[in-house]
Amino acid sequence: MKKKSSLLALVLACSVVMGACSNAGNNTPPDQTGTPDNNTSANTEPADPFGRYEEAVTINVGIDVDPTDNELPAGDTPMDNQYTRQIKEALNVDVNHHFAASGQNYRQRISLAIASNDLPDAMVVNAVELRQMVEADQLADLTEVYERYASPEIREIIESTNGAALNAVTFDGKIMGIPGVQANADGYHLMWLRKDWLDKLNLEPPTTMAELETVARAFVEDDPDGNGQRDTIGITGPESGGKLYANFLESKNNLYGFDPIFSAHHSYPGYWLEGEDGNPVYGSILPETREALASLRDLYAKGLIDPEMAVRNKADEPIIAGKSGIFFAPWWMGYGPLTNAVRNNPEANWQAYALPLDESGVFNAHIATPSTDFVVVRKGYEHPEVAMKLSNNLLKQEQENTFDPSKGGPGYYPLRVVHAPSDEIEFTVEATRELLAGNKTAEDYQDAKTYKLLQSDLASIKSIKNEPYDVLDIETWNPEANWGAWTRSYSIMVGGTPLVDTDINEVPSLIYEQTPMMESRWVNLRKIEDETFLRIIMGAAPLETFDTFVEDWKRQGGDQITQEVADALAE
Amino acid sequence: MVRDQTLGNRVTDIVLIVILVGITLSCVLPIWYTLSLSLSSNSAAAAGQVWLWPVDFNLNAYGQILNDSQFFRSFWISTQRVLLGVSLNFIIVALMSYPLSRTAAQFKGRNVFMWILIFTMLFNGGLIPLYLTVKELDLLNSIWALVLVGGAQTLVFNIILTMNFFRNLPKELDEAALVDGAGPWYTLFKIYIPLAVPVLATVSLFSIVYHWNEFLYGLVFMTREQFYPLQTYIQQLVVSVDPSTMSEDQYRRLAELSNRTLDAAKIFIAMLPVLIVYPFLQRFFIHGITLGSVKE
Amino acid sequence: MRMKGFAKHYYLMLVPGFLWLFVFSIIPMFGIVIAFQYFNPGRGITGSDWAGLEHFRYMLLLRDTQEVFINTLVIASMKIVANLIAPLMFALMLNELRLMILRRWIQTIVYLPHFLSWVILGGIVLDLFSYNGPVNQLTALFGVQPKLFFADAQLFPFLVVTTDVWKEFGFGTIIYLAALTGINPALYEAANIDGAGRWRSLWHITLPGIRTTAVLLAVLSLGNVLNAGFDQIFNLYNPLVYSTGDIIDTWVYRTGLLNLQYELATVVGLLKSVIGFLLISVSYYLAYRFVNYRIF
Repeated sequence: MKKKSSLLALVLACSVVMGACSNAGNNTPPDQTGTPDNNTSANTEPADPFGRYEEAVTINVGIDVDPTDNELPAGDTPMDNQYTRQIKEALNVDVNHHFAASGQNYRQRISLAIASNDLPDAMVVNAVELRQMVEADQLADLTEVYERYASPEIREIIESTNGAALNAVTFDGKIMGIPGVQANADGYHLMWLRKDWLDKLNLEPPTTMAELETVARAFVEDDPDGNGQRDTIGITGPESGGKLYANFLESKNNLYGFDPIFSAHHSYPGYWLEGEDGNPVYGSILPETREALASLRDLYAKGLIDPEMAVRNKADEPIIAGKSGIFFAPWWMGYGPLTNAVRNNPEANWQAYALPLDESGVFNAHIATPSTDFVVVRKGYEHPEVAMKLSNNLLKQEQENTFDPSKGGPGYYPLRVVHAPSDEIEFTVEATRELLAGNKTAEDYQDAKTYKLLQSDLASIKSIKNEPYDVLDIETWNPEANWGAWTRSYSIMVGGTPLVDTDINEVPSLIYEQTPMMESRWVNLRKIEDETFLRIIMGAAPLETFDTFVEDWKRQGGDQITQEVADALAE
Repeated sequence: MVRDQTLGNRVTDIVLIVILVGITLSCVLPIWYTLSLSLSSNSAAAAGQVWLWPVDFNLNAYGQILNDSQFFRSFWISTQRVLLGVSLNFIIVALMSYPLSRTAAQFKGRNVFMWILIFTMLFNGGLIPLYLTVKELDLLNSIWALVLVGGAQTLVFNIILTMNFFRNLPKELDEAALVDGAGPWYTLFKIYIPLAVPVLATVSLFSIVYHWNEFLYGLVFMTREQFYPLQTYIQQLVVSVDPSTMSEDQYRRLAELSNRTLDAAKIFIAMLPVLIVYPFLQRFFIHGITLGSVKE
Repeated sequence: MRMKGFAKHYYLMLVPGFLWLFVFSIIPMFGIVIAFQYFNPGRGITGSDWAGLEHFRYMLLLRDTQEVFINTLVIASMKIVANLIAPLMFALMLNELRLMILRRWIQTIVYLPHFLSWVILGGIVLDLFSYNGPVNQLTALFGVQPKLFFADAQLFPFLVVTTDVWKEFGFGTIIYLAALTGINPALYEAANIDGAGRWRSLWHITLPGIRTTAVLLAVLSLGNVLNAGFDQIFNLYNPLVYSTGDIIDTWVYRTGLLNLQYELATVVGLLKSVIGFLLISVSYYLAYRFVNYRIF
């Protein structure tokens, strides 16, 4: 098949042909001790999701760890730490790093791995990469692995998404990856606001766009931080490389974008929507988006949006330094800039609101797909079920609180994807309220096992939350008592409350995956979109550029892609 | 040199000095800025208060670096890379430049070889085939991947420079060598190389700077952080992250790690070796870089 | 004549270098075929289907690719011109400076930035030009509104060129200084006796004395018309300035490695190589024709 004799073959050797054992389950050596699953026969028979291998099994993974993170205890290494030791202990699996990188560089490593067919046994990829690998026939079919090895808890979480999670990994009826499931709450973008500034300036949280402008102007002009200088930002915008809004491919956790401002105009750029005629349309090219851009452009021109948006390297710096009054982001901002902001200034009263509203007083929000990252296994790897077992094990250990994050962050767990029940945040908010109101006790929630952190949340809440319990302002919290618990509970209670208490008009995208044509064309379409919108908002191009953009977008493949989306939906 | 000291001349002199000193100061500015950033408190740095003078002077960042074993490992990898890369570059450049500096009459095929070199300098198949080649040679995560791949890309330019220098040495040298019965090896090592010290120092300097500053290959050929050279390690500090695929705790961790003064201290230390080496080499390259001393 | 026997030694001298280039430069060139394929990584270069010129056709359709070619040409040509003139001016000024100690100090300091990588300088430059940075504080003294320099697409190419000149002029100065020292001092003395002032000496002696060097440098830099500087732009740009700042190399990097469009990236990379090769050939011819100098 390939000749290694000549030097020329050196470069051609990328055609390394993987062992053709797609039916990996049958090649699995009899695993684990004392489970009834000494199989080889029926492939659908359930196996022990936590079974320990008798003989050590090695898995080479690609892992996203920050190389500058040196918080591991002395003697530990990225390949030898509490996580890998627990895995060795529980499963007898040795974890090797095929590659390790962080952020954008992790994506680049995956790209290199795919292109050169030099794949790790397993890694975590995004939807685009997943699709690419399926097409290149690089992935093991995990249907059987999932059927047999998924633990009941994981299964419950994955199946609680109404099929969305499994849909995302199913190609031609085969499951090609293990989908992660993140809480729905990650997909709702809220308005975070310095309530202490509002109080000082005698203002109310802005509900309409007009009020938002008033508040932002006051934040810029009326010296809310009281230092006598005009050095505050009204509304923080995305940082360099950040997104103006979440889109159908990256539909959640967009920090410092303008998602709620768009949706207050009924504009959902980056999303595939149902048009008036019932056919799919792309939100970015609709007139509502033009309106929203016009209003953002106006805010920017008036100096109410951070003048350094899109160029600033770290948008969180002014927030931490107490120089910004409003930003848009999901619920978990305690984990984001707010811990440091409150450390800097214990009076920084950041509160979250489901605002601004549209003209009829409704809060619109585009909602996310639960699954954006996926564990995939290389075709030909002898033990594809190891990937599943690692996920099972992680969820179990998280429920049992085995790992100590101060001894190395959870990113060191190999093949880590989040598995959370979709309503984790809302459920936790309501449970905490019941507990604080004295209606229920922690024991009442013993059975809610998939909410893995609920018990510890309930146990610690009273040590960090002072009375009155129904007020969430910063002075009613006691972060010094336990910063870790405060970060979580403040995020959940402040960031989760609007989700529970607001009637949200939810707008999903018709699809959350790429269609075939997007593979070659989407990047370029996204580029003109991002560029045009940024330039319009920041006044570098007139609003009319939007119309040219729409034309260009359609001509450069947008129309064909829209048709493809329609076809895909018709199926 | 005596020139008349008219008023006009003095004014010209003063204006000159002001301009020149101003420009010169601007060249020191980035280093000075990095230094003062690294000596400031983190909060002052994050708030953008530091410019020309440290705010809340402290040495914490440098203390923290001492505990960062990866920083030193990367520093050492870069050092090795430079040493190996420069030596190899020196040997090959000297060896290849000499025959190529012969005329086509003296060395048949010289022009063909030269054009092949030019060809390799301009054409490449992209990163992916390069990655495959390195992988097949089992050089991933090896320092030799950095030395050989990077070296190959700068080699031709250095050869052209050196070859031009050789070519412009007086023809009498060759004749004298020939009369003395010296062979090509003797001529190269005993006559040409000693005369070519300036140009060889120059290409070595190029090589040092290149191998010390290059970051992309470290990212591509080193699959794990412990093999990163220093610039790749530093590039990691500034690389952007995408929170849409991150979980909350990962994000928090990242935020906690963000530390501008520490970054500045690392960058400052990364600049040091080059700053220390180049004054020693510069007396050579002033002569060497003149493209084989174009003669009037 | 015994020179004849030298050829085999010449070949021997070339062997190690060519072996090196063969493995790390020529072999990976086979990746160019990806430009003509529907590249399927699972099946590799040997197993993928042929696409003919399909990707070339698509490339011509894209507004993007035209844009990056134009941007590359604009930025690179401006850099070439500026990098020829700025060092010349500086060298001339320095040549007029009569305080020798100051002169030596300036000479040493101004090439400092040349040795620092863009990974390091990129962050510093962005800081200096930030909204509250020193540049804006300086212009504020004259009542100018603060400006976001690196968000302005019109300004971006000029900023790139300016910062590049700032980084490289010191190094370029060396070449001219060397040429200047090559001018016979007797000429100046004679001029002085004839009563020629500073400016006349400059015009009639200095400039003609370095003419050849300047022309040669200009011709040589032609080959760089498609090299607008990956490292620099990569570390300075953002989506707001793509329209004027995105160049071939950054585009190829993003397209091929971050966006998984290997074929398109290879096509554009190949086109760049071809044009680069043509330009080098032209400059080779021009140098031969006008300065009677063979570059290689």
